[in-house]
Amino acid sequence: MIAYICRRFLSMIPSLFLASVIVFSFIHFIPGDPAQVMLGDQATPERVQQLRESMGLDRPLYVQYAKWIGGVLRGDMGQSIFFHKPVLDVIADRAETSLLIAVFSMILIIVVGVPIGILSAVRCNSRLDQLFSGASMFFASIPTFWLGLNLMLLFAVTLKWLPTSGFPSIVESGDWSNLRYLVLPCITLAAPNSALIIRLTRSSMLDVARADYVKTAWAKGLSEGSVTMRHIFRNSLISVVSALGFTFVALLAGTVVTETVFSLPGVGRLVVESLLRRDYPTIQGVILIVAFVYMLVNLLVDLSFAILDPRIRYS
Amino acid sequence: MKGRKLLVFLAACVCLVLVGGAATAAPAKGGVLRMAVIDEPPTLDQHVVTSDLTTMIAQHIFEGLYTFNAKYAPVPLLVKSDEVKDGGKVVVLHLRDGVKFHNGKVMDAEDVLASLNRWGKFGARGPVLFGNLEKVEATGKLDITMTFKAPFAPWKNLLAFLNGGPVIYPKDVVATAEKKPIEQYIGTGPYKFAERNPGRYIKLVRFDDYASRTEPADGYSGKREALFDEIRFIPVPDVGTRVNGVKAGDYDYAEQILGDLFDSLKADDAVVTTVNQGATQGLMFFNSKTGPLKENFKLRRALQAAMNMEAVLRTAVGPKELWKASGSFMPDSTTWYSKSGVDAFSNGSAEKAKALAKEAGYAGEKITLMASTSYKFHHDSTMVLVKQLKDAGFNIDYQIYDWATLISKRADPAQWDIFFTHHGFVPDPVLYTFMSESYPGWWTTETKRALAKEFSATMDDAARKLVWDKIQALAYEEVPVIKTGDHFTYDIYSPKLDGLSASSLIWPKFWGVGFKATK
Amino acid sequence: MNILAVFARRKIALFGLAVIGVMLAFAIFAPLIATMDPQEMNPVDKLTPPNGIYLFGTDNFGRDIFSRVVYGARASLLGSTGVILFSMTLGVLTGVVAGYFRRVEPWLMRLVDVLMAFPPLLLALVLVSILGRGMINVIVAVGATYLTRTTRIVYGLTLKVREEAYVEAAVSSGTRVRDIILRHLLPNMMSPIIVQATFTFAFSLLDMAALDFLGLGIPPSIPSWGNMLSEGRMYITRAPWLLTFPGMCIVLTVLAFNLAGDVLRDRLDPHFRSRIEGV
Repeated sequence: MIAYICRRFLSMIPSLFLASVIVFSFIHFIPGDPAQVMLGDQATPERVQQLRESMGLDRPLYVQYAKWIGGVLRGDMGQSIFFHKPVLDVIADRAETSLLIAVFSMILIIVVGVPIGILSAVRCNSRLDQLFSGASMFFASIPTFWLGLNLMLLFAVTLKWLPTSGFPSIVESGDWSNLRYLVLPCITLAAPNSALIIRLTRSSMLDVARADYVKTAWAKGLSEGSVTMRHIFRNSLISVVSALGFTFVALLAGTVVTETVFSLPGVGRLVVESLLRRDYPTIQGVILIVAFVYMLVNLLVDLSFAILDPRIRYS
Repeated sequence: MKGRKLLVFLAACVCLVLVGGAATAAPAKGGVLRMAVIDEPPTLDQHVVTSDLTTMIAQHIFEGLYTFNAKYAPVPLLVKSDEVKDGGKVVVLHLRDGVKFHNGKVMDAEDVLASLNRWGKFGARGPVLFGNLEKVEATGKLDITMTFKAPFAPWKNLLAFLNGGPVIYPKDVVATAEKKPIEQYIGTGPYKFAERNPGRYIKLVRFDDYASRTEPADGYSGKREALFDEIRFIPVPDVGTRVNGVKAGDYDYAEQILGDLFDSLKADDAVVTTVNQGATQGLMFFNSKTGPLKENFKLRRALQAAMNMEAVLRTAVGPKELWKASGSFMPDSTTWYSKSGVDAFSNGSAEKAKALAKEAGYAGEKITLMASTSYKFHHDSTMVLVKQLKDAGFNIDYQIYDWATLISKRADPAQWDIFFTHHGFVPDPVLYTFMSESYPGWWTTETKRALAKEFSATMDDAARKLVWDKIQALAYEEVPVIKTGDHFTYDIYSPKLDGLSASSLIWPKFWGVGFKATK
Repeated sequence: MNILAVFARRKIALFGLAVIGVMLAFAIFAPLIATMDPQEMNPVDKLTPPNGIYLFGTDNFGRDIFSRVVYGARASLLGSTGVILFSMTLGVLTGVVAGYFRRVEPWLMRLVDVLMAFPPLLLALVLVSILGRGMINVIVAVGATYLTRTTRIVYGLTLKVREEAYVEAAVSSGTRVRDIILRHLLPNMMSPIIVQATFTFAFSLLDMAALDFLGLGIPPSIPSWGNMLSEGRMYITRAPWLLTFPGMCIVLTVLAFNLAGDVLRDRLDPHFRSRIEGV
């Protein structure tokens, strides 16, 4: 098992290297440059050139890449052009929001998605199942920003139960009541995702239910609850867990739209804003880190298979 | 009879104002102002960037030698008095004594000299002044002497305009920054910089040692009093979220609201609207270096004739109160307002355009028009304009980009014929972008050069205005640029705020503003 | 197998089919159905609520929303169709190549793995930033994010089908590679590919709307449901009809394709439980 984990880590190195090359070259293919964006509409070409030079943007691309990747290997992702501080600090500033959003959305998704999925599978083709599958399909079909805007109008503007936007740091203030700022964004994100988890749980449970060992379990006269939970659910967990793993990564950085609607200082908005500002080091840093997290989660998901299904052994 | 009624009415009004004035207590001291702004500024360094957002925030921290009163006339701020000698060639500035920086040091001529020099060398608008300057030196502890090559009239306006302008930093801050944006935000303003929390807010706190002027407040000039303990500028990029946030009480003030929402927000008791009088104008620059529009002034006039700006403004801006279809490059709130040449503005005649195009020898060559989707009104304006141009028979290749791509593409004359941008308020036409020869579009005809030279050398205000009239007339003849009209952005705020005027001059300011005193 | 018969057995699926039919009719017969020119601006009538002349009201340019919704079906359906064609064609190609030719497999799959490690929406955003806004560019950008997923699925299927006795028999009897792929591999993978395509269609419609929201989608000069919805969002309190109609079109179409995908998967291929849904 440990040898397997080590092997997986080793194989991440070339992947991350490849990822860094792809990210770097993609980013520098984008027209425009940060000096021009920063100085604005009325800057003279000389002024822009001066700033470009002071940023090192006038050097050949391969030199810039070598400098960047050299820094990354030493744990230094460079300076953010826009924020004038280390990229890692900039990302750390945003990590709180993104992690909390991801964790709380995941909790919502699991708490809502998995039980309803099980119920739908057990009561397969009943009225209840049809209701759930209809509702979940509906939520999976709404563009996120439309859902978010409507939730904001209803719960924040009309009813005034929750704040509209923003998220004051909990770490800095120690005030856990700030979590109320994340309620609407997490619902917005959890709605479509739990819908997908409901459907996945339902379909993989139905799938497993057809397997021979489940038939044997029924034949042995085990109780319905026991068969459902111990045999069917446990075995269908594999696909559910792997889907949850990927959902988690997507929630870490792929929540730009929700972050924009609710004006949250998260990683997703950081990437998109950095893209518009051509803040190369920041975009590169975020995407590389997210890719690394993705690979880690991938590994964790694979390892969880061994726990869920004793037949799977890694060596 | 009618006259008496009016008199009674007027008297009643006066009473109301007096009573009302007495009843309203002055805004209270204290509290945190939460202001929703459109984005995060790249830096607060006023020397190098011309972003309005930067200036709006930075004006609370940094101050310049002069500033503007409510009539857009330059008046002293950090300067106590000035002397103009030698027919305008020499200007001596006497600084105010005892003005403290936020780090506790007292400002002197060395700080001012260092700041002016950096601005002249690396600043956005510095070269406009420094190109005409022979030397600037500190001639005393609190004296600065500027010697011009020839009398240069706009100097005071240039020193008063903060946007990309010469704010005063301590000299050691200047020394460490040079061409890079400054990173220590130390100024002399009523609020001092406290913290930048990326993605969350920029925090300013009251500067208790602020050396305020004593004259009554007038525009940006006179007494400045910081009432809030703290101001937070919070980036809220989505306009709908800014509106909802103020309505729900999550923000106290939100800038740059959508024109089409103006009427409904004005009628809403939960918010107050305030219109910004410093007009913004949409501009279409024509490529003078290469392509079908190069030196083909008749073809440019043909394009100009096809446009109907009322339709553009009604679509892109909204309610009539927020725009003026005015052809004068300088808005009518300034003394520079001019009608010369404006007969050619907004003719909206496809026939006239077709006739002119025919005369110009236009045979359906492709004309590339670039606009950015990063600004909604750029896109909305160009959508209407492109339609009008196509209806008049022009072959327009309409290309849209994000702002960063557009400003890099427009640097290359081969890539475009027309691009759309906007121009903020400037106090002196010398700061108008088309006056600069390096601004994309590159309007450099001989006639223009001669007039521009005459303009900056003329000292007398009335005479300068006459030259400006000629320049504007030429701009309608050679058409380096087409203006869509003036439009006024507006902001909304919570009725809990007190001390804000019904409209702001260029940027909203928060000295003299506080929460309503509770009884 | 008769797909129509499959659908006929479930009423809800018929509803899905009907929605798809209506939207297709909008797209194909747009000039006949639309009551006005979708690009015609009437600034005087801007933001008019739905009435007898403007069935769905007008937008901030004074354009007729009904006609734009009808024409919008073109861009939106075309966009999603393009995404399917792009991601399926290339995905099947790379997947089969990776699964069949062991020499290129490690390289190709490593690349696919790395590309999958980038969050899909961010990858699409970066690609549109490079290519610029445009119908085809958006299709390529969104398609690229589905391409890798398709490659993965097809790769897995290829490995599985390859080991089937009849394929091994064909290989050992010296059948040409092209024929093996065309005659044995592809036909056996069709059902899951169709199912994947159906879901891709649904999700790509939402992805394109998200790109529109971020200002990097289909150019706003082409009416599409996504950019109508995203441009209209600023008017949600002032003129909600700007959002309601294009929004409903997106929801209904995505719903219909999801339903279709479900039915197809249940009937065509009961053993195929894809990972597509988990994304």
